[in-house]
Amino acid sequence: MNSVPRETPALLPSGVPEDGPAPRRRPIAVHLIGQNIGLILALAILGLSLIIFVGLFAFEQHRLPGNFEVTSSVNNTMPLALAACGQTLVVLTRGIDLSVGGVVDLTNALAAIFLAGSVLHMIIVSVLILLVGAAAGLVNGLVVGLGRLQPIVVTLATLSIFQGLAIRALPQPGGVVPTGYTAVLVNPNVPTALLFVVLAVLGWMALRRSRLGVAIFAVGNDEQSAVALGIRAVRTKIIAYTLAGTLYAAAGLFLAANATSGDATTGDVYTLTSIVAVVLGGVSLFGGRGSAVGAICGAFITTMIVNILFYAHINPLYQSFYEGLFLVIAVVLGSAVGSFARRGR
Amino acid sequence: MTRLLSPGALRVLAAYGAAVLLFIIGALVHPGFASFSSVTSILLIASFVGLVAAGQCFVILIGGIDLSVPWVLNAAAILVATASLGENARAPYALALTLGMGAGAGVVNGACIVWLGVPAVVMTLAMSGIVEGLALGLSGGMTCAACASYAPPIVRDAVHGVFLGVPAALWLWLVVILVVSFVLSFTRFGRATYAIGNNPRAAFLAGVNVNLTTVALYALSGFFSALAGILLVGFGGQASLGMGAPYLFQSIAAVVIGGVSILGGRGNYLGAAAGSVSLVALVSVLLALNMPDYGRSIIYGLVILALLLLYGREEREQ
Repeated sequence: MNSVPRETPALLPSGVPEDGPAPRRRPIAVHLIGQNIGLILALAILGLSLIIFVGLFAFEQHRLPGNFEVTSSVNNTMPLALAACGQTLVVLTRGIDLSVGGVVDLTNALAAIFLAGSVLHMIIVSVLILLVGAAAGLVNGLVVGLGRLQPIVVTLATLSIFQGLAIRALPQPGGVVPTGYTAVLVNPNVPTALLFVVLAVLGWMALRRSRLGVAIFAVGNDEQSAVALGIRAVRTKIIAYTLAGTLYAAAGLFLAANATSGDATTGDVYTLTSIVAVVLGGVSLFGGRGSAVGAICGAFITTMIVNILFYAHINPLYQSFYEGLFLVIAVVLGSAVGSFARRGR
Repeated sequence: MTRLLSPGALRVLAAYGAAVLLFIIGALVHPGFASFSSVTSILLIASFVGLVAAGQCFVILIGGIDLSVPWVLNAAAILVATASLGENARAPYALALTLGMGAGAGVVNGACIVWLGVPAVVMTLAMSGIVEGLALGLSGGMTCAACASYAPPIVRDAVHGVFLGVPAALWLWLVVILVVSFVLSFTRFGRATYAIGNNPRAAFLAGVNVNLTTVALYALSGFFSALAGILLVGFGGQASLGMGAPYLFQSIAAVVIGGVSILGGRGNYLGAAAGSVSLVALVSVLLALNMPDYGRSIIYGLVILALLLLYGREEREQ
């Protein structure tokens, strides 16, 4: 984009720039680092936490983490990674979605009730559950978009509604998820679930380059300008919330597959953890800046922190203390490095 | 267009109207619902929500939010019981320690938001985790010897004791309502709060110390969460894990029902107090109707959505 030469408008005498001095051109590499500083930081933190984890593990167990550790870490992270991708879409539009937990609860409960059956049956039910998630997201999007209300209170209200529906669907923990279904989504022996991570990343890259992706970023950066440029802000928001709901439903399916049964309350935690993952992933809560890839990194970072605390023999009761502390430090460091990298532009 | 009442005043009136209406509905479906003892017990429960909502109201008025309520409240409940060991002699020390802990957590929230630039949502969320970890860890998951302590009698009397026919906690809430309303409406601090909520930059240029005011507001939120925690221990006798969980949702809902704009700068605590009463009255009516848990949860959400749509539309018409 940067290398395209600017055309001089015909109305102006040649040689006179149309808006003051020409912008100082910066090397592409510097520009890319400045634009993606959040993602780069997230990758760095993920790398660091992986190194610490492997070091601790090797010290404790006198061997490197094997297939089992990798597989269980990946499988446990899948629901959060997907939920964080959904949360990213909403946060990019300068919103926030507190209903994540409710949608994961509801879809997780539905999966445990209805999944058991033939292969075709499981596929149909899975698609229907994804549609339930989409519908939940659509409700959020419609109220936020058409009602022009604050996302935080709207999704707080819908959280309560979805949680209620989930408990109505599955009052007691139970239900069954067929082992074949578990094997496909979260194979307990091989980390095949990483394929879904790759799929999510590819999907994000496609979205980022599509009209919709550009519209989401534009709305998050400056809604009025976006509207002035012909972007349909309301429609963009509705689609973003709907896609997010679908991703939460996918998280609910993965959660059910991993637990091989259902519980209408286990999903509650994903409201907060998805926000944590998004923040660790360098997505700005003020909208318009960030990447789902970063959010996926954020999800894996949270898993790594839990693993590190475990192998460091930290009393599990203190776990949330360290998680909270780490979140603040990561955000403070992130914004410090980010503002440093963007300086001078 | 001239109006008899400003939209803000109308909303406060609407919140009170909703509370009265709910009591009437309750009386219709369940005779005795509107009896004096029933009303006072509903108001007593509303006072816990109302106290948390006072803190939440302060920070929402500047466009912030406090998600650390559940665990600050819970930690306060544990702290007041364990520090006092249920003895009146130790109660003043325990109360000071607990309220100081709440205000301290709020100061840290405010300081990190103001000086380190952490978004309020992230900071208070992290604070909730930090306080949760400390509360769980230090109490050994509520297995410590002192954890089984009851609230000191003086605290229990402050909740259950009857003064002029009304539970003492209600008098306390009344005082809080008067003080908070006075502070918000008639003091420099209150004016500064609204100014920051409307436009922090303009407030700064007008000479408001935005940073210190923000820190003070978050400190107040922590203080009120801790106060509610103390009263809840006095009400129930003992502290337990997870007792703060419902109060995050309820405090925000009460503030919103009371007509305080979530973007800040508009609304007052009189409305939030009415919102607390309507919310608890709604739950009581649903309980009187034998509505199961899930139904209450759904209706809760629907009522708040409906109110938001109603208020939101009014806002756009201005």
